[in-house]
Amino acid sequence: MEDIKEAILAFAEKSKKSKFYFNDIQKAVQKVIPDAKAKPIKKAATALINEEKLIYFSTGSSTMYGLKGRGQTEDH
Amino acid sequence: MAFEPNEEQKVLKYDELRIYTDEELNNYTDEELKEFKCKHDIPDMDELEKGPWPSFVADCKREALHRRNLADDRMMIDRDVVEDMLGQLQVSFDEGETHWKHGGIVGVFGYGGGVIGRYSDLQERFPSIAHFHTMRINQPASKFYSSDYLRCVCDLWEYRGSGMMNLHGSTGDIICIGTFTEQLEPIFYELGHVLQQDLGGSGSNLRTPACCIGKARCEWSCIDTQAMCYELTHYYQDELHRPAFPYKFKFKFDGCPNGCVASIARSDMSFIGTWKDDIRIDQEAVQAYIGGEFAPNAGAHAGKDWGKFDIEKEVINLCPTKCMWMEDGKLMIDNRECTRCMHCINTMPRALKPGVETGVSILFGAKAPILDGAQMSLLTIPFMECEPPYENIKEVVEKIWEWWPEEGKNRERLGELIQRQGVAKLLKVLGIPPMPQMVKEPRSNPYIFWKEEDVPGGWGRDINDYRSRHAI
Ligand code: HEM
Ligand code: HEM
Ligand code: SF4
Ligand code: SF4
Repeated sequence: MEDIKEAILAFAEKSKKSKFYFNDIQKAVQKVIPDAKAKPIKKAATALINEEKLIYFSTGSSTMYGLKGRGQTEDH
Repeated sequence: MAFEPNEEQKVLKYDELRIYTDEELNNYTDEELKEFKCKHDIPDMDELEKGPWPSFVADCKREALHRRNLADDRMMIDRDVVEDMLGQLQVSFDEGETHWKHGGIVGVFGYGGGVIGRYSDLQERFPSIAHFHTMRINQPASKFYSSDYLRCVCDLWEYRGSGMMNLHGSTGDIICIGTFTEQLEPIFYELGHVLQQDLGGSGSNLRTPACCIGKARCEWSCIDTQAMCYELTHYYQDELHRPAFPYKFKFKFDGCPNGCVASIARSDMSFIGTWKDDIRIDQEAVQAYIGGEFAPNAGAHAGKDWGKFDIEKEVINLCPTKCMWMEDGKLMIDNRECTRCMHCINTMPRALKPGVETGVSILFGAKAPILDGAQMSLLTIPFMECEPPYENIKEVVEKIWEWWPEEGKNRERLGELIQRQGVAKLLKVLGIPPMPQMVKEPRSNPYIFWKEEDVPGGWGRDINDYRSRHAI
């Protein structure tokens, strides 16, 4: 779990984009930890949301993840 | 089986939970309403109110007047929110452009759905709708409410939101339209802790599951749609609230092929109640329909004189598979040919009933037109047992949720993935054999692809040897 969280944060920090789809997170994590499955990655992403390190960004129809404090930090 | 809630349910009493007095709720007269003028000039909105149909503009004006007459401290967001919304809509009509900004990081803590962020981009002209977020409330199964419950929700939304609501959104939720970011957490707290009410889904999530009225009121229901909807909603809470799908995913549950929630057209995974034994026939009742004692369709078309009921014309000849006939004064059905279209049962409900060996058909991949046009779900599993706790069904769900999130592109719905990778792939994922009915037309959607191990000699076989026996 902790290693997955680190991989997510590392990806989020070095990514050029400020928001990414879950799919992109999953691919990035699996590059570092090839045997990581989708479910634990989702759990780790949820934990990072709860720790307020990641944020959700939603248009209403689709949802992306972002690093808190990067890109859109205001709520609009 | 009697229904058992997953947690103890309080009985909500409006009298104990209400925010507004009766005087506050009924705070304007019909004369005042007639005289009402919106603070913005809204000629096109006024136009929408004309004509025979009920108009949201008329409802909005009532709500605007209601808010004008409430005391300042009885609303947590601006009283003008309804009037500003109408004003901005008028501007959009004039300019042919929307002024709502899409999306943002609003939400309630820990949830990735249920709140949809919207902002006005004309905040100086319409300050009260600077934030205009939508909240989705997960409707109870089949939308059964007590009026106490509805009143509590309405009071809460009047107090902390715009008072404007939409019952219901296409997905089924109660939609509360327009509030400010600061109000989201207090509303969520109140809904969760006092009203025992969850938010619905939005974003790349499992969306709020919805079901027909089912066994609660409908004698045709082959499955307990409400129990199933409730169970899967609770069981997949995490998928509802924590987005990790490529796009939205919808479950809908119809108790029979009449499809009152139109699951076949509106859900990525459609559940439709069905039966595998024979249609039950009461021959005496058939005679009573023929003799005119019972009105066909339970009298639904009695408003006009259609002449004497003619079973040949109205039932037998309309059977899509032509599997019905009369023999020695008895109605006969070749049940092996029946496609469960429900027509005969709908026409003669007292004579015909679905069979008793009931279960569910599962279909995949419907969606509204986004990338490639609208699409109906594909009948993939014709029959499955359907009893709580629905382990067999959850297994199917999870096979799909291993495949689609892994292989689906961002913003690709399940139906589009099935189109892209083929029905054969879907069948492989589910581990089920193909059926001839899955071929819509030869060549356009072949469902069988040869695998090398199935071909004598494999891909490397000697074509010249084959041609020596088959000249062209
Ligand atoms: C048990 C016997 C047969 C079976 C199970 C069978 C099955 C099929 C299937 C599944 C297709 C669609 C293939 C696709 O998706 O492209 C097909 C197409 C076709 N079959 Fe048969 N077939 C049978 C016998 C025959 C016979 C005896 C003939 C002709 C004498 C025939 C002529 C054709 C033709 C011309 C097509 C192509 C139709 C088109 O492309 O529009 N089939 N058959
Ligand atoms: C003057 C006589 C005929 C004409 C003008 C004619 C014309 C056509 C045309 C335009 C097509 C469609 C081709 C395509 O869309 O790719 C076709 C397909 C076909 N025809 Fe004919 N045809 C004739 C006679 C016959 C006969 C006598 C047979 C059988 C003994 C036959 C069997 C077929 C079959 C099986 C196909 C489907 C081929 C496939 O699916 O690939 N046709 N024909
Ligand atoms: S879908 Fe069938 S079971 Fe459900 S309410 Fe409609 S007719 Fe009744
Ligand atoms: S349900 Fe439809 S297909 Fe079946 S016997 Fe009745 S009319 Fe025919």
